[in-house]
Parts: sequence; structure tokens; C-alpha cells
Amino acid sequence: MSRPTGGDGIVLNKVGMRFGGDNPVVALEDINLEIAAGELLAVVGPSGCGKSTLLRLVSGLLDPTTGTISVHGKTPEQARRDVEFGFVFQDPVLFPWLRALGNVLLPDRILGSRNPAHSPRTERLARRLLSDVGLGGFEEHYPSQMSGGMQSRVALARALIYQASTLLLDEPFGALDEFTRDRLNLQLIEVWEKARATVIFVTHSIQEAIFLADRVAVLSPRPGRIVRVAHIPFHRPRPLDLRYEPEFGSLARELRALLETAPTTGEA
Amino acid sequence: MIRAMLSREGRASSWRGLVPAAILALLALVVWQIVVIAADVPAYIVPSPTEIGKELIARGPSLVADLGWTMLEAVTGFLIGGGAAFVTAVVFVHVRIVERAAFPWAIVLQTIPIVAIAPLLTIWFGYTLVPKVAIAAIICFFPVLVNTTRGLRSVSSQAMELMRVLSARKASIFWRLRLPSSLPYVFAGLRVAATLSVIGAIVAEFTGADRGIGFVIVQASYRIDTRLMFAAITLSSLAGIVFFHLIGWIERATLRWPEARQHAS
Repeated sequence: MSRPTGGDGIVLNKVGMRFGGDNPVVALEDINLEIAAGELLAVVGPSGCGKSTLLRLVSGLLDPTTGTISVHGKTPEQARRDVEFGFVFQDPVLFPWLRALGNVLLPDRILGSRNPAHSPRTERLARRLLSDVGLGGFEEHYPSQMSGGMQSRVALARALIYQASTLLLDEPFGALDEFTRDRLNLQLIEVWEKARATVIFVTHSIQEAIFLADRVAVLSPRPGRIVRVAHIPFHRPRPLDLRYEPEFGSLARELRALLETAPTTGEA
Repeated sequence: MIRAMLSREGRASSWRGLVPAAILALLALVVWQIVVIAADVPAYIVPSPTEIGKELIARGPSLVADLGWTMLEAVTGFLIGGGAAFVTAVVFVHVRIVERAAFPWAIVLQTIPIVAIAPLLTIWFGYTLVPKVAIAAIICFFPVLVNTTRGLRSVSSQAMELMRVLSARKASIFWRLRLPSSLPYVFAGLRVAATLSVIGAIVAEFTGADRGIGFVIVQASYRIDTRLMFAAITLSSLAGIVFFHLIGWIERATLRWPEARQHAS
């Protein structure tokens, strides 16, 4: 179907997504976006603007109604078959019958030798990932014995264990308190710099988007269109109190203004 | 830690939870005894609890032997019916067209009164084990089928997406996601089936048998031996309860994650 455009990054070309049914909804319209390999792109927008749909299109879980997508020169479907994506969903989606360690190891158990990180010591890697996200000592806990925030962190560790070249994060820390969120953001950056993965990070927090990303794509609601892609000028490593700098504040204000004036169709 | 303590406390209180039921049963037995004596009800109409007790002790060994026979039929039927239902449910979930073709007939099978099929099967297979096992299996089939099908489908769409992102094969999705999600449902169906299987075996024995607790009940009814009937009924009901709790015990031993225990009652 879609023609691979070649090259390294992720390319979305005039992508549109319409959901049929009794009340057809145009979720996304005319999305053009290029994400360089190794880039961290944040997508920000109000709820219902098609942010999650965008991730599902890139990962081949959904097919776009119009336009083409290329992921490292492959179609999303091919890239998904080659297990190139690590996906962290809005809900942690942990298996309640597996302990934290078992949940982190799940991809390795499914992929077996298809996991580039697979080895007899994968379990050690899983334990290290759990302690990286601040869950050392919780390896044997069942998901229901952990708070929502802890569950989200298990889900993040699970997405990291097979060293996917592309990480798709759908508001992964949305349910967390600010302090945990800050820490996980720092950990995410650390992981990302180590793994050199391409990351698309969906969030509704402008602050979080600016703090994390190389570029921030601002989406308007229904139908989701890209209003602007902003380059984030701050150097890395970025300290947490960067967010209290006036430059950071004015950039955040600017993007917020875009969201508030974004034209909407249908209901206001 | 806290959870573990809570669940241990929960188990202790489940024993304590039996106390009201035991007291009620005791009260009922006492009232029964008093009414039977006070109204001078003849024993061949309603025997008193103490008379039933005496009968149970006197006929104990032979009753238990008959009960053992009935339970052999019930458990064999339970395993065959439950196993067939499980396999059918797996096929249903993976091949929709089979479900659409066969499920209406599963309902039909369920609506045929087993009391009506039992004599037929006895005509075909005689005084053998076959009709009893078959009836027990038929009666177990439906609850296990419905619960297992529902359980295998109880997988969230995001969990399926996770499996697709991991490019998991169908077998892998089944063993690692569908089957574990279904188990609490499967056990719910099995617990219902366990008590039904005993009833099925007894009903089948009514229509033609030379041993078994159902046979004892029918024979006793011909002789208006009410005492023996009550004793046999008591025993068969006890066997059903034990079977039910045995399945519950296997469930708790198999499903170790906390929510699974909340499902199990």
C-alpha cells in the first residue's frame, strides 16, 4: 500500500484518519511530519485530538484512510512485524497473573531469540530495568499490589526490555503525581540517550512536552491537524528547574495560546 | 504485606462466616425434630432427624459404596463434558463461523430436559455406566462452554494491541493472554458443573441402574422407606457440596494472583 520513502526516520505524508460507523469522525487530517532517527518528538494537544490514533497509525495497529507512513524505510505493518516498536499505552496493561518481573519479561518470553537483548541473563536485565524506574524490591509484587504510578513504571520497563528502535509513549505518566513524573521524565531521557531510540511522546502537558522533546508538535482538536512544530532550543542535559526560566515560560505560553486559538469544527 | 494479611484474615473470616449458616441449620433440625414428635408424624411420611442419623450410621458402609459408584459416574461425566466444552469454547473463539453454526444447537441441547433423554440413553446402552456418564457430561457442557467462551473473550483491546506490537503468534496469544484471562471464568463454570454432574448421574440412575445412590433412592421409594430416602438424599447432597468445594480448592491452588482470589467465592 504505502510506498516506503526510504531513509532512517519516520515520515508521515498527508496522513488522514477517519473512523466510520454511525457517527463518522475525522480523527486526523493532513498530517505531514518527519521525525529523524534518534529524535524525541513530543505531540501535545487536548484530549480527543487524535494523539493516540497517531501512535496507532505509526505502529501499524491502524491503517490510515489517506496518505502514507514510512518507518525506517518500511511500512508501519512491516516495522511492527519486525518488532521495531516499544509501546507504552495510556493504561499500564499489565497481566494480573504475572508479578512485576514476569510482566517486564513478557516481551522476552514472547520474542525469545527475536529479542536482540535475549540471553540467559535477560532476567538480570529485567531486574535492572525495574530498579532503573525506581521499583527495586518490587519484583515479586503483583500489579494489583502496586499503585497506578508503579504500574505505569512496570509498563515502561516492559517496553524497554527488547531494545526497540522506536518508542511510542501514549501519556505514559498521565496518572502520576508531579514528583514521580519528574523523576520518570529524567529517567526516560537517560534511557533515550543511551538507547538512541526514536521517541514519539504523546502528552497533554505542554510543560512536559517542552522539557523532554527536541521538537513539539501541537495538534488541534477534531479533526486533529498539526498547528505548529516548535523546535525546543534548550541544551541537554536539562535541569528540572529549567521549567522556571522565563524563556521556558514564554515558550509554554506561546504553545498554549496556539492550542486555545486553534480553529475547531463542530462543537466549540 | 498488607494484602497478604488481609487475605489471610479473609480466609479465617470465611470460616467464621459459616457460623450463621450452621446455626440456622441446627435450628431447623431442632424445629423439625420437635414438630415430628409433637405432631406424632409417622416415620414413613417424615422421619425425624435423629432417625435419619441412625439410618445413616446403620446403612453407612453400603450407602457410601453406592455413593462412590454415583460419584465415579459424576466425575467421569464432569471431566468429559467439561473437557469437551473447553475445547469447543477454544474453537468458538478462534473460528467465529463454527460458533455461529453450533452455538444455537448448544442452547437446544441445554433446553432438552435431561429427564427425557435419560430413559432413551438407558434403552440404547442398558444398565451400564454409559447413560449416567453421558447425562452428567451433557449437563456439565453448557455452563463450562458459556463461561469459558466469555473468559477467553475477556481480553482488553489494549492487551491485544500489546500482543500485536510484540508481533506475537496466535499460539503465544492463546497461552500467555487468553488462557490465563479465562481461568477465573472457567473455574466459575466448573464449580456450577460439579454440583450439576452429581444431579445428572442420580437422575440417570433413576431410569435404569442396579447400584448407585439414585438406584437406592428409587428402590427405597418403592418400599416407602422414607428413612433410607432421606439418608441417601443427605449423602448425595453432601457429595455435591464436597465436589463443589474441591473445585474451589483446586482453583485457589492454581490461580495465585490476588484478583483471581477475589473472583473465587
